[in-house]
Amino acid sequence: MNPVSRFMKKLSMLLGRKQFSSDLDEEMTFHRDQAEKEFLAAGMSQEAARYAALRQFGNATRLKEKSHEVVGFSFESLMQDVRYALRQLASNPGFTAVITITLALSIGANSAIFSVIQGVLLKPLPYPHAEKVVRLFLSSAEFPKFPLNPFDFRDFRARNKSFESMAAFTRHDMQLSGNGQPTELSGFAITSGYFRVLGLTPSLGREFDWNAEIPGNGRQIILSDHLWRTRFNAAPDIVGHSITLDMLPYTVIGVMPAGTEHPGNDYHAVPYGESVDVWAPFEFEGNPNQRGSHYMEGIGRLKPGVSAEQANSEMNTLMAQIEREHGGSGWSVLVIPLYREIVGANQRMLLVLLGAVGMVLLIACANAANLLLARAAARQREVAVRLALGAPCRRLIRQMLTESLLIALLGGGLGAALAEGGVKALVALLPAGFPRAHDIHVDAAVFAFTFLVSILTGVLFGLAPALQASRMDPKRGLYEGSRASTGTTRQQRLRSVLVVSEVSLACVLLIGAGLMLRSFLNQLNIDPGFRQDHVLTASLSLPNANYKADVDIARFYTRLMEGLRSVPGVESAGAGSDLPWTGYDENAGGFRFEDKSPPPHEDFHARYHMATPDYFRALGTPLLHGRFFTDADSKDAPAVVIINQAMANRYYPGQDVVGKRFTFEDHPKDKDWMRIIGVVGDVKDKPNSLGAEPAFWFSLPQAANPDMLVVLRTTADPRQLADSLRDQVRRLDPSLAVADVRLMDQVASESVATPRLAFSLVGLFAGLAIVLAAIGTYGVISYSVSQRIPEFGLRLALGAQPTSVLRMVLLQAMRLAFGGAAIGLAIALLLARVMRSMMYGVSPTDPATFVSVLAMVIAIALVACYLPARRAAKANPMDALRAD
Amino acid sequence: MAKKPDLLPGTLDMLILKTLTRSPLHGYGIALSIKRLSDDVLTVEEGSLYPALQRLLLQGWVKAEWKMTETNRRARFYTLTPAGRKQLGVELTQFEQMISAITRVLQNVQEA
Repeated sequence: MNPVSRFMKKLSMLLGRKQFSSDLDEEMTFHRDQAEKEFLAAGMSQEAARYAALRQFGNATRLKEKSHEVVGFSFESLMQDVRYALRQLASNPGFTAVITITLALSIGANSAIFSVIQGVLLKPLPYPHAEKVVRLFLSSAEFPKFPLNPFDFRDFRARNKSFESMAAFTRHDMQLSGNGQPTELSGFAITSGYFRVLGLTPSLGREFDWNAEIPGNGRQIILSDHLWRTRFNAAPDIVGHSITLDMLPYTVIGVMPAGTEHPGNDYHAVPYGESVDVWAPFEFEGNPNQRGSHYMEGIGRLKPGVSAEQANSEMNTLMAQIEREHGGSGWSVLVIPLYREIVGANQRMLLVLLGAVGMVLLIACANAANLLLARAAARQREVAVRLALGAPCRRLIRQMLTESLLIALLGGGLGAALAEGGVKALVALLPAGFPRAHDIHVDAAVFAFTFLVSILTGVLFGLAPALQASRMDPKRGLYEGSRASTGTTRQQRLRSVLVVSEVSLACVLLIGAGLMLRSFLNQLNIDPGFRQDHVLTASLSLPNANYKADVDIARFYTRLMEGLRSVPGVESAGAGSDLPWTGYDENAGGFRFEDKSPPPHEDFHARYHMATPDYFRALGTPLLHGRFFTDADSKDAPAVVIINQAMANRYYPGQDVVGKRFTFEDHPKDKDWMRIIGVVGDVKDKPNSLGAEPAFWFSLPQAANPDMLVVLRTTADPRQLADSLRDQVRRLDPSLAVADVRLMDQVASESVATPRLAFSLVGLFAGLAIVLAAIGTYGVISYSVSQRIPEFGLRLALGAQPTSVLRMVLLQAMRLAFGGAAIGLAIALLLARVMRSMMYGVSPTDPATFVSVLAMVIAIALVACYLPARRAAKANPMDALRAD
Repeated sequence: MAKKPDLLPGTLDMLILKTLTRSPLHGYGIALSIKRLSDDVLTVEEGSLYPALQRLLLQGWVKAEWKMTETNRRARFYTLTPAGRKQLGVELTQFEQMISAITRVLQNVQEA
């Protein structure tokens, strides 16, 4: 018979279910009556015959069930299970609520973290065949990731065989004017083929060709979709039109589509995402034989079948060739897949968070299993009755699993709703510039994950109670079930094991949270080398068209500082080429001191900056020796520099360096020597750097820099001075844009956002974990006390002191807590390696953290079991005796 | 009470189908018939009989209709369908093959 007609037959039987049932009833009654008649005929009494017939026939209900099973669909019995489970859950609302909320919280937390992982780590980058795109860096022992020299890049591009296309780019912000407020744009200078490498094509116009790389070939510009829409009303004929950038006319040759993501960069970093407004052609200017200056970011698309490693080794061969031709200082090339470059730094943190939140889920599972086991004990009688009536084991297990799955799905549904809110909160908490933050959504994949996790959770916490129930001996169940006390020792042991695992996982999380808290506090408490309070900062960029000569730049900043100093509430006003902790990384190599030169084949390196006289005073960086710059350190005065403590220690450890001179020239004249006039305290590169790089500062007029950051130290709230700052700038040059007006407090707090996020989340998870573990401990101890009340009563009746009973119960709880804590500490020790890179100034096996977590877990276990223990100590001997 | 031998697994359907080749019967009649024809050796448990009948109905090998018995009671009578007759043939062949195979094994072991 074919399956279709069989299905139809089943369906018709199902629809006529009532008929089927009554037919079967009648048929069986008939059968019994016939049998009874036969027994009567054989000479039995009426009554004996009826009993014989009934006995022979057996359990009529079970019989009918069996026939039903033949014709019924399997989902029919499933629906029965579901209905039964729903009734069970509804009849026990407190139990259902506790277990569902626990699960909802932990499943929700898992889904939220998974959304982040899905958006940041799992979703492919928005470039076609993104796996073929790589970043190129130079590398040395001192500078593991260093930008390229433009001419080195040009040789790479011409000679390589591994790449389908290769491009380079460098930060090149521009100022848009002539159309409303002057605006500072985030821009990049790119070589031809940049968008081809990324696999993107302009939505209007075209990208730059090789011609655009030749200096003087006309100013061309490509706009972002955002800029095109917001500033040019999405004019469809924009291509070919001229716009004013940096006071010069540029011809628009293309518009990139929405969703053009910047691949991220290190040097003058602009975060990954739609963060770029304009792209200008990079022009190869200068002498191709001078290759000391490094500021280009390399990117390339590998040919099919070429791996990043193969490309890396080819590039190193090329670099060796180039160094033979032009000389060099032993750079090697580093080829890194773009994906790793973008998410690499955050991968570990996200995986640690996933691990942490996974542990919370495991604890919630253990807790749910514990609650179900406790209830299974209470339901022993029900199970026994069903077993005695002939319910097959399989069916009972399925029934139990249906219940746990229902609870899990309920929790999962609520959890998904929580995740939706949680993800929004999470994204808001993420550090500014976190890669791919805008890709984080609760989407179908997240829902699928939540569903899967719910199912797994349901099976995981439902299996133990289900198996336990099905293994019961119905006779004992019926007998024991007549009294309240039932739990077998095996069940009690299982529950203890669950509690021990809960406590151990909670311990691991607490230790993780403790370590992260200490790292975070360490980062907050380190002396950053400057005072971040009461400081307002802003960035200014002087367009080359109007400020051609160094003296123009110097004059502007000198006059601006004079103006700002006169503003009431300003304590000191300075300007520098950069601010601490903003990723500034300009390095100069190849200098020597009057009395000290580098060994052969090595270079002296230091980071260079420019500053006005009051820059350090405004930032609050202390002067250790010598003096600050003054207005007398002008263009025509003798060249002077200020160095930091790290540079003094590197080259003249323990000596007085003020007055020493160094130069970049091979054959210096007297004016080429730069005299060290002061030493300032170290400012760490990043809040989590262990030290500062050697660095020196030029006096601004002696090394004019058009792009400067203004630093104002104020006596009152620095926010109130933002307008005064804008006024002062407008007074000098109304066409200038004042960008990035921020408090130094903000800059500083953004830079510790990642450790703060990691600590807050792991802390939250650890809090949840310890509460769950406490509930679990309470449940087990309280249950075991309620079972042993007669025993305690007897002991008390026989003269035991209440305190000794109290001690007995507390000891039982302590065994669980110590067992769990010991395992937890061992796991934490094993995980120390994973945590190391996320720690700052604290060892991942920090004894103080371990000891305090241990103390905390013991204390919480004591609190959790205090109430049951007191109940045990107050057991009434009379009650105990009556109960038996 | 001496335990009666169980039916060989898988033979119940065949026995029911065979019983029905002579005339339509109700469930009790089928059980009775098997018991009598086997000289009380084979007893069909009701717990197996009715699910088996539902199975055969579902396969379309028997059909059922309510009729009156000689004693004027309503009873459900099962009739063999042509498909059921064919199925019986298949099952009989399989069964005979099985029996002769078992017999051969038993004889060979005896002679060795």
